Amino acid sequence: MPWSWILVAAMALVALIAVAILVYSMNRIIVLSNRIDNAWSQIDVQLKKRADLVPNLVETVRGYMKHEEKAIEMVTKARENMMRATDVKSRAEAEGELARALKTIFAIAENYPNLRASENFKLLQEQLEGIEGKIAYARQFYNDSVLNFNNAITTIPGRWFAGIVGKAKTREFFEIPEAEREPVKVRF
Amino acid sequence: MKRVSFYDQIAKNRRNSALLSLAVFSILLSLVYSISSIFAPGLSLGFLALATPTVLAYAYLTYNYGDGIVLAATRARRVDEGDPRYVHLVNVVEGLSIAAGIPKPKIYLIESDEMNAFATGKDPAHASIAVTTGLLRGLRRDELEGVIGHEISHVRNYDIRFATLVAVMVGLVAILSDMFLRSLWYAPRGERRGRRDLGPLILVGILLAIFAPIAVRLVQAAISRRREFLADASSVELTRYPPGLANALEKIMKANKGDMKVSEAISHLFFVDPTRSPLDGLYATHPDIRERIRILRSM
Repeated sequence: MPWSWILVAAMALVALIAVAILVYSMNRIIVLSNRIDNAWSQIDVQLKKRADLVPNLVETVRGYMKHEEKAIEMVTKARENMMRATDVKSRAEAEGELARALKTIFAIAENYPNLRASENFKLLQEQLEGIEGKIAYARQFYNDSVLNFNNAITTIPGRWFAGIVGKAKTREFFEIPEAEREPVKVRF
Repeated sequence: MKRVSFYDQIAKNRRNSALLSLAVFSILLSLVYSISSIFAPGLSLGFLALATPTVLAYAYLTYNYGDGIVLAATRARRVDEGDPRYVHLVNVVEGLSIAAGIPKPKIYLIESDEMNAFATGKDPAHASIAVTTGLLRGLRRDELEGVIGHEISHVRNYDIRFATLVAVMVGLVAILSDMFLRSLWYAPRGERRGRRDLGPLILVGILLAIFAPIAVRLVQAAISRRREFLADASSVELTRYPPGLANALEKIMKANKGDMKVSEAISHLFFVDPTRSPLDGLYATHPDIRERIRILRSM
């Protein structure tokens, strides 16, 4: 009975391919989902590094900027708010606040040639600028990861299996808060 | 003018690279096969079975320790990451590795006025990036980001491993064909006469031995030229800013004299061709800088 053997072999082959696709796409969905979590913690690492530089910056700037207590106060307060924040929303608000306060400090520093010439300040400025870049890149990587994941679970074959591994929900992109998009206002 | 999406560019370059690497492997094994069928007909399949794992083992050993050799050959020294002079370089490398989702590579510096850079290593977890002091001096931050993004892409795409493998195969083909030609030259006359019935095969073998290294070099050149375009496209994917890399290339084109002292064997690892030679038209391991700029400007 050669025909029935061919039929059995063909069915086995189809089953094998189906299982291979199933295992591959389920693993892929999990890998992509883990990558998003990892990307999120990368952003966190950079935000913490930025907050850690603040006391150092305040110390350096204070000696030169005698009449800018308000701006310095703003940075310190934003950092304290950030450390105190417990939920994601207030944390994000404090982050934005800190970013704006730092921009203000560096804008004001333009008026203090002695400060700008100080080696310590230059290094801090470079470090903070570097961290800003890294935060932006970390967010970009986060959004890329979300895009890859969402594509994987909304296209065939991933959309058939996403429910099985409990990852059927699309993830949200990181959006820059409204406040951070505004240009910096500098008061003199 | 038609706009080139960097996703298209990536897809196309990946496909062509895979085809070419297969070609290198076939040339190498057919060379082994023809040589062995001349000297030991009947055993040639055995030789082939022996040669395949040998080629792979040789390649494996070399790429595991190849990065150290390349770095030593270019006299690159490890950058002290706490040194204030290099903070911005460290920041740029770290930022772009975050964007690419790979661990931060080790950073090296080459003392040279020429503006150039390269990446090496076996995978993203064991990668190194080296830049010349000239590059560091001459480029603005966004331009440096373009160049480092290009090197980071080589790391992420496993180009660094691939480039080493191809270099190793080129070396092996050259050694094998050289051995074969020499063995014909110095073989005793009597023995050669005894094999007269193999005449046509010997001719094929000689032709292969002469042309295989040339063909492999051409393939190597084509592979690395394509990889450069791919890395340019990936760099833009990371920085989202084509003018940075395009401006860097323009500066480099004007400033570089092409007189870096590096071996031909590793020149294809570099960001731009470190040496200029009359053979560049045929053998060039790098695409024309003007062509790279033109593509970047059209993105």
